[in-house]
Amino acid sequence: MSSEEQKLLVSMIEQFAKTELENTAQKIEKEGISTDLRKRLAELGLLAATIPQSEGGSGIDRKSFSLILMALAKYSASVAYFTYLQNTLVNELLFKSQNKKEEIAKIASGEATGTLVHDLNLNFQHEIFVKGSDLYGSNNFVTLPDADIHLVLARSEGSSYLIHAKPASNAIRKPLGFRGLSFGNVNYKAQIGSDKIIFKDAENILQNHFFETGDQIAAIALGMSESAIEKAIEYSKERKAFESYLYEFQPISAVLIDMKGRIEELKKALMLTESVQEKITLKLNSLETARLASRIALQIHGGYGYLEDLGVERYYRDSMHFTMLASNYVKEMKALSKDVIAPDAFKI
Amino acid sequence: MSFELPQEVEETRKRARDFALREFTKDLIDHYDETEEYPNEIRKKVFDSGFITIENPWNMLVAMEEFCRVDPGIGLSTLASVFGSEILLLYGTDEQKEKYLYPTLKGEKISAVAVTEPGAGSDVAGISSRLEKTDKGWILNGHKMFITNGTVADHYYLLARSTPPPSKEKRHHGLTLSIVERRWKGVNPVKLKGKLGMRATDTAEITFENVEVPNENIVGEEGKGFYIIMTFFNISRVYVAAQSVGTAQGILDLLVEYLSSKPSSFREMEYVQFALAEMSALIEAARNITYKAATKVFSFNPDPALTSMAKYYAAEIANQVANVAFKIVGMEASGTKLEKLYRDAKITEIWEGTSEIEKLVISRMILKRIQEAK
Repeated sequence: MSSEEQKLLVSMIEQFAKTELENTAQKIEKEGISTDLRKRLAELGLLAATIPQSEGGSGIDRKSFSLILMALAKYSASVAYFTYLQNTLVNELLFKSQNKKEEIAKIASGEATGTLVHDLNLNFQHEIFVKGSDLYGSNNFVTLPDADIHLVLARSEGSSYLIHAKPASNAIRKPLGFRGLSFGNVNYKAQIGSDKIIFKDAENILQNHFFETGDQIAAIALGMSESAIEKAIEYSKERKAFESYLYEFQPISAVLIDMKGRIEELKKALMLTESVQEKITLKLNSLETARLASRIALQIHGGYGYLEDLGVERYYRDSMHFTMLASNYVKEMKALSKDVIAPDAFKI
Repeated sequence: MSFELPQEVEETRKRARDFALREFTKDLIDHYDETEEYPNEIRKKVFDSGFITIENPWNMLVAMEEFCRVDPGIGLSTLASVFGSEILLLYGTDEQKEKYLYPTLKGEKISAVAVTEPGAGSDVAGISSRLEKTDKGWILNGHKMFITNGTVADHYYLLARSTPPPSKEKRHHGLTLSIVERRWKGVNPVKLKGKLGMRATDTAEITFENVEVPNENIVGEEGKGFYIIMTFFNISRVYVAAQSVGTAQGILDLLVEYLSSKPSSFREMEYVQFALAEMSALIEAARNITYKAATKVFSFNPDPALTSMAKYYAAEIANQVANVAFKIVGMEASGTKLEKLYRDAKITEIWEGTSEIEKLVISRMILKRIQEAK
């Protein structure tokens, strides 16, 4: 794809997000991502966006994909994260295996959904093990536990594997944020053949994959931040207090300008990040910005922001849920400190 | 100078803690959070257990703190069922007290304060509801918003404009407070659902259409309602500060509980220990400023700047503590009480005067004092 084609694609997705997600975002939060919407995302080539065209994907470069995620997140964080999950956490990992073309094609076409079951963002390991040909255990914090294709991080003595498995059961509960996606727990109890192992040394590979795709998480966080602050600016031009518009009050204008500037700087950084270290730093800053932006937006909307009708409280829930979902402060600080300070930094 | 509360108050605190732990069960907390129903059954138990009393306001204050430590939604709903009673206590006639205040304090009636309007939240003097004088009494027309207890209250203490403001600078003149019964003709409360948190509290939008208000239901002097409401806010904001302190303490309790349940290596990490220490210090500071403001209010010597400091600071701390705790616990906080307290905490920066309004009160009072001292 030429750079002109890439630009055109990003612009088309921005248009799609504005016309097809803006008015349905609240519905998506209540009812989930419909099959129709999933098919639409597939038609746009987003569910295998970064997979080479020769392998059934769209062959979009990573920077453009980040811009696409940001555009989606401005209107629906759930849809943006769903796209990231299908493309980056499922299809890209399947692509590392030689014989998973069929699964990639199913997800790319929207025929099937996939999920990654892991514990790398938890403080403690989940209890999913593989012993001989037996896979067993559970994880309570899974996005899309009802997905068709599960990629499961399982441990064995001295090693870890990413396994393509089917859950024995799952249970769904209402999450804090990203309510357009199901969330809950899964149990596994199955016999698995060697063809189900996608790769070994999965823990390290997955951890590196998370670090390397940190800029995509940042892109979603920045889309959410931008949307929250734009809503707040819009509201400050409509709402009056003490016979003046909110934007006329210095502290309100100042905080909005400050946030807008911060978001713009991070968006520039998003286009420049190359190293893993930069990507982790960008991710941490962008997630923090999303939380702050959502808090400011809610505060400016006052009581109306506290009600779900305006869709502002959603940013507040989503930004914290997203932090938990996509980040582990200790692991990220350790990785950064190791490179920046010393191998045993951030230890005690 | 002593920082100890009287023994009677400490005993109430212990009773309130025990009561909340016993009665605010996980099932009930989840039920009211999901359904957004008003917890009337627990309210009755709170009355029967003697926590609602304005004889010694310290008892209500510590009960608010301890109840919100366990669940802010149920805690506030039950204790705020007498919301606005101080208005009648300070400004009501004997007849008004007999008809409205005493039954409320016995748990037979529920009260609410109706000030906020769709176009006037923090800007109290900007309200547009109107009270017009007639031969028989008054006619009320208007629209109120975000009224706590709005659909369950028997009566509202309602602020409306009775005469046009004499000038732009004196918009707070000409506002009158009246008692309006929910069941009167022309009163239409509609419950607002879908709140981020505090979902056990009843919140309503209310319209008033040609509602007849008798003369005897006017509270205090006609046209002086703004001052009455500001006096009341000086009291109610101390309770919101206590709500924040309780919420923050509840979050810290949950974090400690989480850390205790995990291998010691996790809680021995210094970043966790520092966060714990910082949270504890901030909560203690919020509690102390709340108690200091309460001391002034309850001894009839209120300091509006101090009250606003307490309300603003404690709310800030409740939200800060919620954020830090969430970051430490991470995904394991999902679906837990910590998640609920994070949602509940946010309202403390909004209701009963936003943090921005509190900052304006503080700075204006400080500047005024400097001018007076010259």
